[in-house]
Amino acid sequence: MTREVIKSVGIDIGTSTTKLIMSELTLGRVSSHFALPHFEIIDRQVTYESDIISTPLKSEDEIHLQSLINWLQREYNRMGVSLPDIKSGAVIITGETAIKKNADAILHYLAERSGDFVVAIAGASLEGVLAGRGSGAYERSKTQRGVVANVDIGGGTANVVLFQQGKVLETITFHVGGRLVEISSEGEILAVSPSLRPWLDYKGISLKNGMSLSLEQFREVSKQLCHDMLGCLAGKTSIAALQCLVHSSSCETLPEIHEVVISGGVGRLTHELPPARLPEVAIYNDIGPLLASELMEALKRYPFHVAAAAQTTRATVIGAGMQSTKISGATISIQPDQLPLRNIPVVKVQVSQSGQEKQLELEFLKGKELYADHDSLPFAISLGGLPYMPYQQLKELACIFGTLYTRLFPSASVLVVICENDMAKALGQLLRLYSVSAIDVICIDQIVIDHGDYIDIGEPLHDTMVPVVVKTLAFS
Amino acid sequence: MQDKQIEFIVQKVMEQLQKQFPAAPETVTPEPVTETTGLFFTEEDWQTSIPKPVYQEGTSELTSSTPARIGVWRAGTRPLTKTMLKLQFDHAAAIDAVGGEVLEKTLQEFDLFTVETCYENKEVYLKRPDKGRVLTDAAVQTIKEKCMHRPQVQIVVSDGLSASAVETNLKDVYPALLDSLKINNLTPGTPFFVKGGRVACMDHIGEILEPEVLVLLIGERPGLVSASSLSAYMCYRPRKGIVESDRNVISNIHPLGTPPIEAGAHIGTVLRKMLEQKLSGVKLEL
Repeated sequence: MTREVIKSVGIDIGTSTTKLIMSELTLGRVSSHFALPHFEIIDRQVTYESDIISTPLKSEDEIHLQSLINWLQREYNRMGVSLPDIKSGAVIITGETAIKKNADAILHYLAERSGDFVVAIAGASLEGVLAGRGSGAYERSKTQRGVVANVDIGGGTANVVLFQQGKVLETITFHVGGRLVEISSEGEILAVSPSLRPWLDYKGISLKNGMSLSLEQFREVSKQLCHDMLGCLAGKTSIAALQCLVHSSSCETLPEIHEVVISGGVGRLTHELPPARLPEVAIYNDIGPLLASELMEALKRYPFHVAAAAQTTRATVIGAGMQSTKISGATISIQPDQLPLRNIPVVKVQVSQSGQEKQLELEFLKGKELYADHDSLPFAISLGGLPYMPYQQLKELACIFGTLYTRLFPSASVLVVICENDMAKALGQLLRLYSVSAIDVICIDQIVIDHGDYIDIGEPLHDTMVPVVVKTLAFS
Repeated sequence: MQDKQIEFIVQKVMEQLQKQFPAAPETVTPEPVTETTGLFFTEEDWQTSIPKPVYQEGTSELTSSTPARIGVWRAGTRPLTKTMLKLQFDHAAAIDAVGGEVLEKTLQEFDLFTVETCYENKEVYLKRPDKGRVLTDAAVQTIKEKCMHRPQVQIVVSDGLSASAVETNLKDVYPALLDSLKINNLTPGTPFFVKGGRVACMDHIGEILEPEVLVLLIGERPGLVSASSLSAYMCYRPRKGIVESDRNVISNIHPLGTPPIEAGAHIGTVLRKMLEQKLSGVKLEL
């Protein structure tokens, strides 16, 4: 096999809108025929974009599941695809929708019913990264010397990711979004999101349901919101000093940003003419259009170069559909009937020269404490980037792994090991031959994954490799 | 008189200097005695880099993408002495790899007996590749006597153009290969070592032992990046008249190239597919 095309779906259930895309990922062999096989996703194409619909809500804090299912069914019919055709993809729940009370249930329900290997993902940080990959900021960063920030502003949150040379540096999310304040065309406030309250209190701004404000007053609020966020990104205000507006952040201080890409629903609105009258502001019954125009005004006062986004509203859904799936190495050791495996927590272990067994036992026990309730597969073991290991040494490691695992988890039926270096086939055969012959072994490589991450492993492609999705957010 | 004056001045200056910069107390700690004898250089000792790159991230990205000698800095318009020495060092290692011999001890460790091709000596071996493709009459006799006839998998090891490739990698590739046969339910015949072999000696061995598949682990022509790189050539029913496109190969096997353990573990899969599809070479679906 030199090429294979797989269909991948992306579904984004956001604060104000929901959309899906279908894409085709082309897998191709990138190694020479004299080397061990190695495949990568060499091409990603969007083949279908759904209409953007309003996220159906049952009540203020509940998503309308049936409407979503009906919509999904209609879209699939229109595309003429059936579920087994869809080999990968992701459902992501973003912004304020993630805090609805049935969010988790819906996410998993949809993931299991939208294709063979469609995973559920959530989390502000992951959302930011996917949006940055979908908007084109990631690709841009590969051709630039400086740091490129993608600011994806939707209805509920602004998810920021910082890329440098195609690597994720940091992520930060703000409570800045178009739908945080809902208004009527007369300027009456219909609703203010609780997530905006801390900032409003901190600024001493009083916004209450039923109050009527002028265009100028709304403009002032939007302006201050934009300035506070940009000030933080520019390093003028520290993240700690702006706790009321920061939802979450991967660091305490951000590196210097050279270029900014604006995506998301509000990103799309920045290309429209600034609203001149209240009814123009309220076309979506919120302050989105005003936030967009004020953001562009505010950006002029910061030293960022503003680059155009290749995708705005659909950045996250495109990221989720096309960029969440990774391909493992092609020399791995798997027992296919165990796949797919979903939502496996990951315990990263340190492999050192001395005191191996004691140390590994401690790390396994820590994992046992955290994930005690998963009987047949407590967690996947992740081996970081190890120096090259001779076969004999690897054999000893495999034996220790197996003994510990079967002793600590007697009811486990499968052992999952994830390596960073190209060594899974060797380690996998050692585990199966000398260590845990009674249970199944899934040993894959060329996947970078961290402690506390979750992983989904799909069914093998062409018998030789597996699609995986690494998730940085825990699900209960 | 002048000499005296000069001497005087020098003495004064020295005194002044001593006052200003008193000599450090003579407590030189002796170098810790290590077990090593002679000079040892690791790869890191050889490393040189651009002192103050304008774009650090860009340079490191480039240098980490290749083992080639890039971004090693310069003296005027020429390479640094260190770079030149390393180049000569690597060149010498390459020559040594060709001229060297695999230690008997290594072969004993893996229970491999030795037979020879008609190569005569290293000089002839280099000039007459055809001689390295044919076993001597004595060799034919020996393998007929000692080896299982018509095995499923015949394993052959050869020094080829790099004895150090065998020395460096056999300890990882070979046991990984044997385990990969086990996991793929394949049975090996009687493995042996061929001194002075070329790739196509597979065909002659194939004629004699008639294995279903044969794998030859052979030292590659050394280069300036690695002098100990091994190849695994594989063929379904090797025999005289086989063309190159009927063989499969995993090349560049050494600790900094194709990982030896992973290569060894993968050979079993390739051989199984050859047996399933009853062919090898470019037509093999991997």
